[in-house]
Amino acid sequence: MSCCFTPREVSGSPSTGRTANLKRQYLDAPLMVDIEYIRLLTQSHRRTDGMETLERRAEDHAYALERMTPVIHEHETIVGHKTRYVRGAVLYANYAAGPFLREMRKQEQDAQQKHAEQGTGGGIAETLARAKDQGLTILSGKFLLSPADLEEFRGLCEYWEDKCLMEVADRLWMKEFPEAHRIQTGWTIGLYTAPHDPCPEGRLVLDYETALQRGYLDILRELDERILSFRPGSIESASALHFWRAARRSLQGALAFAERYAQEAERVARGCDDLVRRDELLRIAETCRRVPAHPPRTFREAVQAYWFTYLLGHLEGSHLGYSPGRLDQVLFPYYQGDSTISFDAAVELFEELFVKMTRIEYCASMSWQGLGHGNLFQNCILGGVDEHGQPADNELSIAILQAQINMQMTQPTLSVWYDDSLSERFLSKAAECVKTGVGYPAFFNQKTYVEHERAVSGLPLETIRKHAAMGGCTEPTLQGMAYGVVQAGFVNHGKLLDLTFHDGLDPVTGTQVFPPRSPVSYDDLEASYVDKMHSAVRVWQQYWNYVMAAHRQTVPLVFCSVFVRDCIGRGKCMDDGGALVNGTPTTLSSGMVNVANSLRAARKLCFEDRACTFDELRQALADDWKGHEALRKKALQAPKWGNDDDSVDGIFLRLFDDYVGWVQGQDNYLGKPYDPSMLAISTPVPFGKVCGAFPDGRLATQPLADGVTSPFPGTDELGPTAVIRSSSKVDHTRIRGGLLNLKFHPSALQGETGSKNLLTLVKTYFDRPGFHVQFNVVDSNMLRDAQANPDRYRDLVVRVAGFSAYWVEMSKALQDQVIWRTEHSL
Amino acid sequence: MTTGLVFDIQHYAVHDGPGIRTLVFLKGCPLRCVWCCNPESQEPGPELRHASARCRTCHRCVELCPHRAVSQGPLFERSLCARCDDRPCVDGCFESALAVSGRRMTAAQVIDRVAADLDFYRNSGGGVTVSGGEPFSQRSFLLAILEGCHDLGIHTAVETCGHAPSPRLIEAEPLIDLFLFDLKLADPSAHARLTGQDNSLVIGNLRLLARRCPRKLAVRMPVIPGCTDSDENVAGIARLLRETGIHSIELQPYHSLGGFKYTELGKPIPFEGNLDAPALARVREGFLRAGITVVSRP
Repeated sequence: MSCCFTPREVSGSPSTGRTANLKRQYLDAPLMVDIEYIRLLTQSHRRTDGMETLERRAEDHAYALERMTPVIHEHETIVGHKTRYVRGAVLYANYAAGPFLREMRKQEQDAQQKHAEQGTGGGIAETLARAKDQGLTILSGKFLLSPADLEEFRGLCEYWEDKCLMEVADRLWMKEFPEAHRIQTGWTIGLYTAPHDPCPEGRLVLDYETALQRGYLDILRELDERILSFRPGSIESASALHFWRAARRSLQGALAFAERYAQEAERVARGCDDLVRRDELLRIAETCRRVPAHPPRTFREAVQAYWFTYLLGHLEGSHLGYSPGRLDQVLFPYYQGDSTISFDAAVELFEELFVKMTRIEYCASMSWQGLGHGNLFQNCILGGVDEHGQPADNELSIAILQAQINMQMTQPTLSVWYDDSLSERFLSKAAECVKTGVGYPAFFNQKTYVEHERAVSGLPLETIRKHAAMGGCTEPTLQGMAYGVVQAGFVNHGKLLDLTFHDGLDPVTGTQVFPPRSPVSYDDLEASYVDKMHSAVRVWQQYWNYVMAAHRQTVPLVFCSVFVRDCIGRGKCMDDGGALVNGTPTTLSSGMVNVANSLRAARKLCFEDRACTFDELRQALADDWKGHEALRKKALQAPKWGNDDDSVDGIFLRLFDDYVGWVQGQDNYLGKPYDPSMLAISTPVPFGKVCGAFPDGRLATQPLADGVTSPFPGTDELGPTAVIRSSSKVDHTRIRGGLLNLKFHPSALQGETGSKNLLTLVKTYFDRPGFHVQFNVVDSNMLRDAQANPDRYRDLVVRVAGFSAYWVEMSKALQDQVIWRTEHSL
Repeated sequence: MTTGLVFDIQHYAVHDGPGIRTLVFLKGCPLRCVWCCNPESQEPGPELRHASARCRTCHRCVELCPHRAVSQGPLFERSLCARCDDRPCVDGCFESALAVSGRRMTAAQVIDRVAADLDFYRNSGGGVTVSGGEPFSQRSFLLAILEGCHDLGIHTAVETCGHAPSPRLIEAEPLIDLFLFDLKLADPSAHARLTGQDNSLVIGNLRLLARRCPRKLAVRMPVIPGCTDSDENVAGIARLLRETGIHSIELQPYHSLGGFKYTELGKPIPFEGNLDAPALARVREGFLRAGITVVSRP
């Protein structure tokens, strides 16, 4: 098997010795957790009891920023990191101490942990080996820390055990929410993803434009003025005073953080014999004194200013999906205005920046680590149109693509806001990047999103065009003006299917979840599914609103709110509705393709062909199709999603419409309707693992279909155009998100013609209109070879869902799933 | 309603004609090229295929065959296979190890499948390519497909081995935008030895098309190690091209990916070889020296 496969057409390498070293440094580093931030935050928290919530939150965060050890790694020219290590995670015990404590007590973290899988290769292997050699401890399956740190961390967790978001939320909803038991049952049977409290935030893009244009000092001046000229007239208005004071404190902490890096650069420079490096360090010091306090004067300063704001926002929350936004737009004025920066130098800076983003790790519950496979879903979206609808791609859009062609880091994932007007040069560069096999950029249809956001937010067209960005995998949001704590996790449609076919009983655990109901007709069957979906979604939404109430009381985001319009103007943090757009919280689900396929198959078997009774079908499922092979063959032959067959596509569309309408029927914590969305991340694997056999012929525990509109592997018999025809029947303007994976053999996209055809495919899909498509361009035989010989593939990156991952750091189950997907070739 | 036997339809095909295309493969071919990578295309009727890698030797097919064409093994006596319409052996195979190559379709069904990708063709400058087998073997079916596509404004290409009665080419020519014309061997006896037929008809048709519609003609040559890649053959083909006023050729390098299909059809693999890069480069050089432009495959 290892002998013959087609290599990827494009392969890049770091453009300079510096970035080659930085990448090497990253690939060789173990995964560490750093307890410094939580130690300092806790020190502060012990002394701030009694302070107003927002002010306390800002004070604790600023206290930590003023004391964290600045570390400047070799070769770096952009400085600042969340931890002291090359690959490091911050431990957010203030969000969820319980899972850590349960791990240390050798207890199960949550009901889903047993279904979660992490990889064991690459940097994780390095980590595990070092633990053995150096007597270090492993936390959360893949992170290192010293036994002394572990002991200290245990104490910190015990401090937070009754104060963290998760505990405060649990005390509230478990006691006061009448349907609480249904959430817990849902976790037990795998109807929902594990509690999201350990990493609830993200899907957030800050207002980098303002951060850079004004500089922090100017914003501080505004805050001072507001505070001085304000006279509180009610409790509610007085809260504005608290918010502004908190905002001021968080900016002061940020400036101190930058100053500490300036001092550190000078300190290192003093001991540095290499004159070139010494000059670099002195320039770093100068830059850190200039930004983020003042507006940047050069492109290099702009990149550092951008990074500080990005980093400090990232440090404040336990984010997944926190994203760089439209980097090419934000930085372009500084590139244009800087005559000293060359295109190549800009590429090198982006290469360095992307290593820094990839170095951010997260250590949350193992269930969520498994769902993200180490990826934080940082999504940098390029191109698109500007406020006037004109193409916005520029030199930096190309430089960013070039940087990732060269580096092939897993983060940030790149995306393209597609529009027909984008330049040929930019789109060809995007296609070239796709052909490295890293799976990005993903293509998104900006017009579709604009339509969606107009309906949700009612903002002017110009505003939406200009600020349209991607916050996380495939969820569009408005840069710098939308609420950023958005979802409770995922609803597993596959599990609802199990419950539908087994009279409300979970066939895997034997739990009776819904009252028994045996469908008498096909319509009744579909209705039974829809009822269960309604119930599961409603309970999930209501539960999350309790958690968000606790979020406001424990970990509201203050620094981030400063950079979300119009929190300062309204005198409110995001948790109080300060953002201009509060309709971004979504309700997520995945697995609907299997539901449509299964309902179609059941209709054919039981009601059209009468090949079996409903009871016989149920028995076949209970037996995992064993002894029912003839019936399974018929089930496999029933029409499947992805072949442009209306008899099954129609079912998907009906379920989709119903889901979308139902989700909007419940308000989120901020009083706006929940926004429907579907995504996947790694859910198809653990969601499939907890499900029994399905009527579509799928066997028990097999993964579900990936993506949102991707066909179940092997069932899309008519090729990629039929997949696109099915997928484009879905009205993507109705949801925030959507995901279609296509996998191509490299030969299908070879050469300039291959690139052109790829872009035509995207255009044709978006004309229909579709919303999102992304590509794995890799020979499955190469992936099999990489499974057998991981040592030769340390830096192989492939697309999973809304993110890419290092192959060797993926779990075996997820690797198998990627190989299993239908590969379109010729 | 005109019907015909189709053994595959591939969408998003990008190697046979311009743009994004749909490839329609018609069954039946007058040639038996030893290197053929689509052996299921050769016979005019449906053929049973057995993928032994998937087979779990449950032998249900032995029980299910009403014509006793399958025995323990399972072994298939293909002369006894009646190619039943309901295919009990295929439907009864739980592992999907059994399949039939060749499905009867109406021209309208084919046209519907092709027309579904109309917007892909429009955006890419693509269309339909009817291939085979030899498409001209199914004369009226081919005409019906071409007519239907032509009426919809779809760009039409036909991939032909050239071994077909000339009147069939003449009558279809107005409906065809591009002939992908395979030219394999210049020497008649080598052609007869390696493909089963001499090349007089092929060369006659080449001259005919070069005269009638030179702009619609694209000549391609499979580069088969030890068969078509000799210097003499390259020189011979180049001479033929110059004589007919054709200035370019597309090379199609040999691949062995079709080997497993012979086994599935119960046939011995007639040819094994390996095309290395220097051999391909030599063929290329040969044409360039003879003044023929070599079009590389995308």
